[in-house]
Amino acid sequence: MNRHTSKLNQHQQEESALNQQSNQQQTAVEFASAEEMLRHDASQTPVPPAVAERLQRSVEQEPKPPRSLWQRLFGR
Amino acid sequence: MSALITEQPVEPETPSESPQRERARLDPPELDRIYEEHSRPIYYLALRMLGDPTQAEDATHDVFLKAYRKLGEFKGNSTIRTWLYRITINHCQNLLQTWHRRHIHTTDDEAVWERAAGSAESPLRVLETKELGQRIQKSLDGLSEEYRLLLLLVADEKLSYEEIGTLTGQTSDAVRGKLHRARKSFAALFNQSA
Repeated sequence: MNRHTSKLNQHQQEESALNQQSNQQQTAVEFASAEEMLRHDASQTPVPPAVAERLQRSVEQEPKPPRSLWQRLFGR
Repeated sequence: MSALITEQPVEPETPSESPQRERARLDPPELDRIYEEHSRPIYYLALRMLGDPTQAEDATHDVFLKAYRKLGEFKGNSTIRTWLYRITINHCQNLLQTWHRRHIHTTDDEAVWERAAGSAESPLRVLETKELGQRIQKSLDGLSEEYRLLLLLVADEKLSYEEIGTLTGQTSDAVRGKLHRARKSFAALFNQSA
């Protein structure tokens, strides 16, 4: 029984190692050049949404451009 | 490095006062469109130049706010993206100069890296992990500012060698020549960072 359990454990360990190796093989990525790697990295790097929200608030706080003479005369 | 960005910008970042100033602002919908199209490369350039996500967020915000204020002074001699890159590069370089926190590598440093680069010609292989960004940052930080900027700009397929040359104050042939060395140095640093 012990011998059987031991064999079973060994089999499970081998299977686990194979799975890990297989996972690593699946996720390994190779890049031909530095810029290809940087391009990939850039595509995986989104701009945090907080930037757009903050920019919108900043734009709203900007002073409005002065109205032209035409607009002032005709109230448009 | 101060010689890298010359005073021959694609478009002046902060031109002198002019009558155009009154109509210099973008309409918010126009700003939305420009932000949508260009914010990712601008953020990425700032992130990799500064090496700090929070500072990169601030820089991206500041670049687009500056663009909002100055678009009326943009004369269309370059693309909007190149103009935004110009603003970003100047902005980040000013920050870096203020911080004094980068070690500037000399040409000799580069040569040392290249001599040590036994595996520099091999492809860059990496497991898809969260550490990829950290390794890239570490490798870029080991490069001279010139090489780092060249690689980051060349990674944007929308930029031509001519535009990169204009942004970095050199001919497109010089860009091509330096790129080869920049790639080798990056590969050596990246493979050492594993």
